Amino acid sequence: MSDWEPKILAFLCNWCSYGAADLAGVSRMQYPPNFRIIRIPCTGRMSPKFILSAFKQGVDGIWVSG
Amino acid sequence: MVEYISKIQKISKKILQDGKVDIIIGFSSGSLPMASRPSFIKSPEDADKLIFDGNCGINLANYLAGRKEKIGIIAKGCDSRNIAQLIVENKIKREQLFIIGVPCFKMIDKRKISLLFEDEITQVTEVGDKVIVKGKAKEKTFNREDLLQANCITCTHHNPVIYDELAGELIKEPDQKDGYEDVKKIEAMSSDKRWSHFSEMLSACIRCYACRDACPLCYCPTCFVDEAAPQWVGKSADNQIDVKTFHILRAFHCAGRCTDCGACERACPMSIKVREFTRKLNSDAMRHYEWEAGLTTDKRPLLDNFRVNDYQDFIK
Amino acid sequence: MGLQKRKAIYVEYAQAVPLKYAIDADNCIYFQKGKCGACKKLCPAEAIDFEQKEETITINAGAIIFSSGFNPLNPADLDLYQYNDRPNVITSMEMERILSASGPTGGHLVRLSDKKEPKKIAWLQCVGSRDMNRCGNLYCSSVCCMYAIKEAVIAKEHSEEGLDCAIFYMDIRTPGKEFEKFYNNAKEKEGVRFIKSRIHSIEHVVNTDDLKVRYLDEDNNLQGEIFDMIVLSVGMETPKDIVKLSQKLGIELSKGNFCKTSTFNPLETSIEGILVSGAFGGPKDIPQSVVYASGAACAAGEILNSARNTLTKTVEPVPETNVIGERPSIGVFVCKCGSNIAGVVDVSKVVEYAAKLPFVDYAAENIYSCSQDNQDGMAQLIKEKGLNRVVVAACTPKTHEPLFQETLISAGLNKYLFEMANIRNHNSWVHKDSPELATLKAMDLVRMAVEKISIAKPLSEAELEVNQNAMIIGGGVAGISAALGLANQGYDTYLIEKSGELGGEAKKIFKSANNENIQKELLSLIEAAQNNNKLHIRLNSSIVNVEGFVGNFKTVIASDNKEESIEHGVSVIATGGTALKPTEYLYGEDKRIITSLDLDKKFINNDNSLKGLKSAVFIQCVGSREPNRPYCSGVCCTHSITNALELKKINPDMNIFILYRDIRTYGEKEYLYHQAREAGIIFIRYLASDKPNIKIENGKISVTVQDTSLNQYLEMEADLVTLASAIVANKDQKLAKFFKIQVNEDGFYIEKHAKLGPCEFATDGVFLCGLAHYPKPIDESIAHGKGAAAKALTLLAKKKIRTSGTIADVEPLKCSSCGVCVSICPYSAPSFIPDDARFFAGKAQINPVLCKGCGLCVASCRSGALRLKGFDNDQIFAQINAAFEEAA
Repeated sequence: MSDWEPKILAFLCNWCSYGAADLAGVSRMQYPPNFRIIRIPCTGRMSPKFILSAFKQGVDGIWVSG
Repeated sequence: MVEYISKIQKISKKILQDGKVDIIIGFSSGSLPMASRPSFIKSPEDADKLIFDGNCGINLANYLAGRKEKIGIIAKGCDSRNIAQLIVENKIKREQLFIIGVPCFKMIDKRKISLLFEDEITQVTEVGDKVIVKGKAKEKTFNREDLLQANCITCTHHNPVIYDELAGELIKEPDQKDGYEDVKKIEAMSSDKRWSHFSEMLSACIRCYACRDACPLCYCPTCFVDEAAPQWVGKSADNQIDVKTFHILRAFHCAGRCTDCGACERACPMSIKVREFTRKLNSDAMRHYEWEAGLTTDKRPLLDNFRVNDYQDFIK
Repeated sequence: MGLQKRKAIYVEYAQAVPLKYAIDADNCIYFQKGKCGACKKLCPAEAIDFEQKEETITINAGAIIFSSGFNPLNPADLDLYQYNDRPNVITSMEMERILSASGPTGGHLVRLSDKKEPKKIAWLQCVGSRDMNRCGNLYCSSVCCMYAIKEAVIAKEHSEEGLDCAIFYMDIRTPGKEFEKFYNNAKEKEGVRFIKSRIHSIEHVVNTDDLKVRYLDEDNNLQGEIFDMIVLSVGMETPKDIVKLSQKLGIELSKGNFCKTSTFNPLETSIEGILVSGAFGGPKDIPQSVVYASGAACAAGEILNSARNTLTKTVEPVPETNVIGERPSIGVFVCKCGSNIAGVVDVSKVVEYAAKLPFVDYAAENIYSCSQDNQDGMAQLIKEKGLNRVVVAACTPKTHEPLFQETLISAGLNKYLFEMANIRNHNSWVHKDSPELATLKAMDLVRMAVEKISIAKPLSEAELEVNQNAMIIGGGVAGISAALGLANQGYDTYLIEKSGELGGEAKKIFKSANNENIQKELLSLIEAAQNNNKLHIRLNSSIVNVEGFVGNFKTVIASDNKEESIEHGVSVIATGGTALKPTEYLYGEDKRIITSLDLDKKFINNDNSLKGLKSAVFIQCVGSREPNRPYCSGVCCTHSITNALELKKINPDMNIFILYRDIRTYGEKEYLYHQAREAGIIFIRYLASDKPNIKIENGKISVTVQDTSLNQYLEMEADLVTLASAIVANKDQKLAKFFKIQVNEDGFYIEKHAKLGPCEFATDGVFLCGLAHYPKPIDESIAHGKGAAAKALTLLAKKKIRTSGTIADVEPLKCSSCGVCVSICPYSAPSFIPDDARFFAGKAQINPVLCKGCGLCVASCRSGALRLKGFDNDQIFAQINAAFEEAA
């Protein structure tokens, strides 16, 4: 159990958080790879259905940011 | 009660005769006890069939969406709030409606009687704060207070919020206290405990969608559960994730719009307390935005609005 | 800023545009010792050029805009603050870096001496501002109060253990829009302490890194308070080289070494053709800088009007191939980005993986996918292989998507059949120690892109003509300036004014803070408007109806019972504000108790009654900064001081008292405050909780006020009491509804963005200027008018607008007409199909021109009737499903 890593899916707003994730790259900040980003045009686009669907796919955590 | 009925019949007859409405949506007696049923009355003569009692819990607003004719409708507090909600959401026009308001004396939950009365019920009579139940072999008198529908116990809007005429005197509403003790109890659970609580509760669901069909808020031409592309949610009742998805999304669609009329729970053949979801959202709407649905016809539902000073501590 | 070491090759700052590296020659071994050159050997792009030299470039220009900005004052010379000696005394700019998530501490609040989280921080205001004695900068830097409050609030948020923030100030100057509310909130809710005192000294606390601030409190007691850290709120200064350059060019400077401008020409320097914007024209915050920048662009456009479009070139369009109905055929290009990606991710493995994915007919790697030859190659391959979808796995779509989309267009492919997988910024750069997992992640990212694009459809962009007329609503100085800005650039401009003459509130004002005669200047502005044959003035006119949207408005106006319908492409709202009629201080009960504008009227009319006055009292904040009007009207302090000085001119012996809460003579208006004190005008500070009391006994007016510095009540006799009454908005809900724009709690219109969009609304094609936005003096109103004109012009100049392809769309059969979309869209894009329409009456429809593609309506639609093209539900589901396919 100790080496278990959660799978995290992020829905990031194109205008802010997605750019911030780009910036994290430019700044070479390091974070674990078990993390995927889906670019959405605005967090307004975010539907609870996406969250439930991702959980159903076995994702452990969801991050919505924008 | 008797006064209510005669008033309802009198008003209905008159507005039908005067051509003010084409149809009355109300209740008539059912073939079995405690099964008062929604009825559509079109001629003045039939107005005498209209009744009103503690078994009229069905939300009649559910029959309004999209109708084009002029309608007279019997409205309890919750029905009237849903009517207001439907007007705001363009499902019916205020001008189309003649609302006969009924200050509500709280509805009876027939399941509670069935549980307390072993015999086959042949007759149920409401007399003041007592309910007399007759069976083939015995008779029992209950306190009405012990038989109420769950949502009626915490209700703070017994009087209709909009109406054209009243079938009875307005009653004094209970003091506005924070009536969300049930929600707080669930909020206090650990996440594991809450998960098992909901899992157990929803395991009974057969995906019949009676809760959805009874709800006056659910008027979409195609419900998300019925869509194939995209398939928002799987169709079978076997997959518990899909079952949960359905219930959570249904509740979300009611957020800021639900009047807690209890139609969903009343309709559930499996006695699932689906209101636990909508109540949580109602409680949040109240706590963070001081919002109760269906109290006016000039404000859009809570989640259709954005204000800069909205509660947003959850973001921090 | 010296808070942290950096390498000899660096990016200026994380948000730099373009995001390119530079060599720091002072620290480069090659430049210093002539040896090394390792970077040149290693760079696969051969981008290192040691031979680059400073070049002199000559540009022929018809106008020059000076936006040379400011330097934050260096407090090193102000030894009182011990900036050089104590590491825990920092400047506000250094504090900004410490609070910044991309700063040296990653946004973690620490002090520099021991990297411990501070528990108490003091901000010292007016360091290098309002300070004649130490640095000679008498002016106020305008922005420091607000940024100090902001820093204190953010620092409290960043603090993990609880933080005490104290701001030592002389006057809190928060005259900007929504600033006063922020200040009140910081004080009342966030618990920031505000101490009105200029500190006496800073002492080092022995054996610690702490600092003791010595100051006189408001009761004149000497206090000593220990802080972990001190932030110096340093002011703004014009850079020395700019001062020199200005002198060389002959640009006249102000007392404070800012560019000298006048009230009615706030954007012009003393040299024709040279314009000014930003802090060079006087200290400014961001929204003001944006306003002045837009305004200067407009002023330059007016000068250059005859040269417009003489240097433009057009591109020949490539016809688009129809791919509808074709089986998807996807090309995947995986970029190595030199070693940026390939150094971590096994690119060949990713290519191999991509080649096996459904519908992928071509997969290859590039060293730099974005290089010109690879672009040409990609276009070639699309044509040769008949590819109808393209995925590039490289860097971020935010910078490179447009480039690759151009390549698709040049190959005749719809640009929306393109998707990027961000395997650099979101992968190789951030997982450099886990190459294997990064490779698996890259595969997943490519798969997500492939799955998403395989179900993508080509999207079209609607094109719309922009009507070339402009309409300005409101004929005050802001409206006239906006109208002239557009008319001078050749656009037919309709100026709609509800009263019988132009000029607005300015007609009532006597003199500016610079001692200019407003009426004379205003007259020439109005004459310029009247004499411009492109400017069509409609007086005594009101708006009856507005239809349409950006580029295509149709407005019906009524003038003298006549209705006129005007078609226009842009609308500027300049409906202004008015002076509040006071309801306190016995206003209206005695003709000696008047408002500031009443006094102006007396000056304008050369009223004899002013000559006999022996004493005059001004009361500030009448109706402003009150619970029911919690904003500062911005202009009243300056206005009262200007008028008080005028009274002194009439009778130098007159006793003049100004009763104030904070004197807010921001920027170089501070000189006026100084001048007033020199002239013997007495300033008495009162508290909002204990306002001045005014009474009339035996025909004499007496004013009682508690002087907060003497802590006792003073009573003064007044022959004249002037109330500095608030500016209130001409709140017009009807107009707001017509143009689908919002009004805030105070009745002012809400601009698109508080900082970056002060001249425009969120609703396209509608612009904003003047008092309708927020109270401001004439110079700022004029700059705002010009700014709004410049913004309007960027739209008119396009002649046609193209919508985006990624916008919302309604499936009417699924629509339940509930109206959520209509209610929530911030851009007014959804509407109901009219009831008399043949099809789908009452259902929602989206105006593609107004839709910004945010997807708010799509997510809010319970019925699933709305889709967002390019980010469709099935596409996002496809991405969700593919997200952890490989690295499960």
